[in-house]
Amino acid sequence: MIELQKLLERVIQRVNINLRELGYDVSPYVRDLVPLTQKVKFYAFYGITPHHPLDLQFHGASLAGSYFLGRCRVSSSLLYKSDIRGDELKKKGSVFRFQEQEIVLTRDERFDIEDSYLIKTLVHNYSHDPETPEHFFIKDTVSTHYANIHGSPTEGCFLGPFATVDLTTVHDCVIGPFSYIQAGEIWHLNIPPGTIWVRSPGHFNFLYRFPPEALKAYIAFSPGEVPRGALMDFVNQRKHEFQRIFEVVNIEPSVRVPANASLDRYAVVRPKTRISENVLVSQRAFLQNAHLGKGANAQENCYIINSRLEGLNVTAHGAKIIEADLGTGVFVGFNSFLQGRPQARLTIGPHCIIMPHTIIDAAAPLTIPAGHLVWGLIRGADELAANSISLEALAAVSDGLHQGELFFEGSGADFVKGFQQRIHHILEANGAFYDGNGQKGHAQRNQNISFNILQPYPEGPYQGLSPTTIIRE
Amino acid sequence: MDNFKVRDLMVPLSEYASVPESASLYEAIVALEKAQAEFDHTKYRHRAVLVLDAHRRVIGKLSQLDVLRALESTVSRPARILDDIHQYGFSPASIRQWRLEKRVLQGPLTRVCGLVGRLKAKDFMQSPTEGEFVGLEESIDAAIHRLVAGSHMSLIVTGNDGRIAGILRLTDVFAAIFHAMKVCQLEEGETTP
Repeated sequence: MIELQKLLERVIQRVNINLRELGYDVSPYVRDLVPLTQKVKFYAFYGITPHHPLDLQFHGASLAGSYFLGRCRVSSSLLYKSDIRGDELKKKGSVFRFQEQEIVLTRDERFDIEDSYLIKTLVHNYSHDPETPEHFFIKDTVSTHYANIHGSPTEGCFLGPFATVDLTTVHDCVIGPFSYIQAGEIWHLNIPPGTIWVRSPGHFNFLYRFPPEALKAYIAFSPGEVPRGALMDFVNQRKHEFQRIFEVVNIEPSVRVPANASLDRYAVVRPKTRISENVLVSQRAFLQNAHLGKGANAQENCYIINSRLEGLNVTAHGAKIIEADLGTGVFVGFNSFLQGRPQARLTIGPHCIIMPHTIIDAAAPLTIPAGHLVWGLIRGADELAANSISLEALAAVSDGLHQGELFFEGSGADFVKGFQQRIHHILEANGAFYDGNGQKGHAQRNQNISFNILQPYPEGPYQGLSPTTIIRE
Repeated sequence: MDNFKVRDLMVPLSEYASVPESASLYEAIVALEKAQAEFDHTKYRHRAVLVLDAHRRVIGKLSQLDVLRALESTVSRPARILDDIHQYGFSPASIRQWRLEKRVLQGPLTRVCGLVGRLKAKDFMQSPTEGEFVGLEESIDAAIHRLVAGSHMSLIVTGNDGRIAGILRLTDVFAAIFHAMKVCQLEEGETTP
């Protein structure tokens, strides 16, 4: 295991060099976060489909429990139970639009992960950086539990647990736990925990931060310790449910899956779950007594428990919905934690937008009216009033808005339009609108995936590392 | 001047204001006032307070600017988002407007001062960086380099045993240099035909 230890030290050094201007040392957070013995216990696996290019290259890497789909190169890196999902990478000959430019791709896009350590991280979407349209790089970066790197090339970064970088190129930054950043391109920033920042320069700027002490009850991360809080407790309590599906080679779905829907074989489905047409359920999703109406989806690391989603619902990566009823077209953003209770259900009206990284945790029944934007921490009616606004009212904002801990500048109409267009794009990409003709989405294309596994060296100096491997069509 | 050591210009730790890490901002300000009163009034007054841990090691320095920064911070709102909002790409006009709104919500300045006084000095101090230390026996030349390179208002002086011996203030170094300049000018005047 000596080579694995050396690799870890090398990655820590690389990240620290990049973060030296911020005076940030990742080693106390990372060195003992996952025992290296864990890297031997789990196999990695990759998907084979006729719909996605197959080009995987692994060199000097530990891949324990990780999943790969599409084109990916991993070198000198540690990946632990991470999902590298390349079903939205750009294809050769496609056109990437940036402002007034149309950039034609000369080859298929590829993930390139180098000198990095990703722990239970989701990597998805495609590079939104016009400077590297064929190259989605993750370099000199450490990301921790349930972080999302979504369409965001990163170099020299540290992502805390449940942090998300979305459609943003990130250079030499620390992204605190439970922070969500969608800002185009950022450099040399140390983002405090619970910061929600969505910026489109020249159009709008949205900034909110969770009260630090209140956030610690949900997620806290200290040097030398594993992440703690209600979010980690929630996930850890259900961890054993995933063990069985990873141990069994062939597994039959326990519920009826319509012909145009997709249920990943690495998702957990508990009794009384219903899956409708055009539904997409991704790997590591957890469904229990969940009604997924037509065109709804549950992406990676989502939990939908004792809840009903009427249809055309986006439940983005890592979102959790418990004891709730969601109307048609409700969007629930990344890593949101919506917790109703059996005697205090949460009701969300149609076409609401629940911002990424929203926490709703009310002891009394709570109803969110149709067509509202909701953000931040909501533990009752007062906080709902402070942290929500109707989409109509927001669209009327033309310069600035300061409401509770939200600071907004720019055009509310642009913000609402941008979100609605993105939700429509996600539903389209997922195949929610598929009617048997026309363009298929993930729900239709991801139905038949074969999975092969990759094992590490079981002992010796390379214990825990995968042999150099090239897998191509 | 060429033979001057750091020890010749530093203020001994015993004459400098210091507070334990548990101290409030108000206690730090009182300590500063006391040190100023006890210090030689013909000299430049102290402008900062040292924050010490349980082993009397310096863990930070609280300047007058840090106290004013505490006033600017969000007293009534723990999120303190306005403290670092400048790095998120908002226009200066919006930030000014929001700071003004916040100040109005907090009430008159006297009330805010009362609230700020209860905050922990440790939360607003500046932790010393590597280049902010200088040895007791080092030359003034070496100290000047560190003051200039780090844009420091003072340096923390360590003794041979590694313990903090005192503070070397920019103002004392400047006064010594200014004095040396004057001497040079006089000497040049005497030798010029």
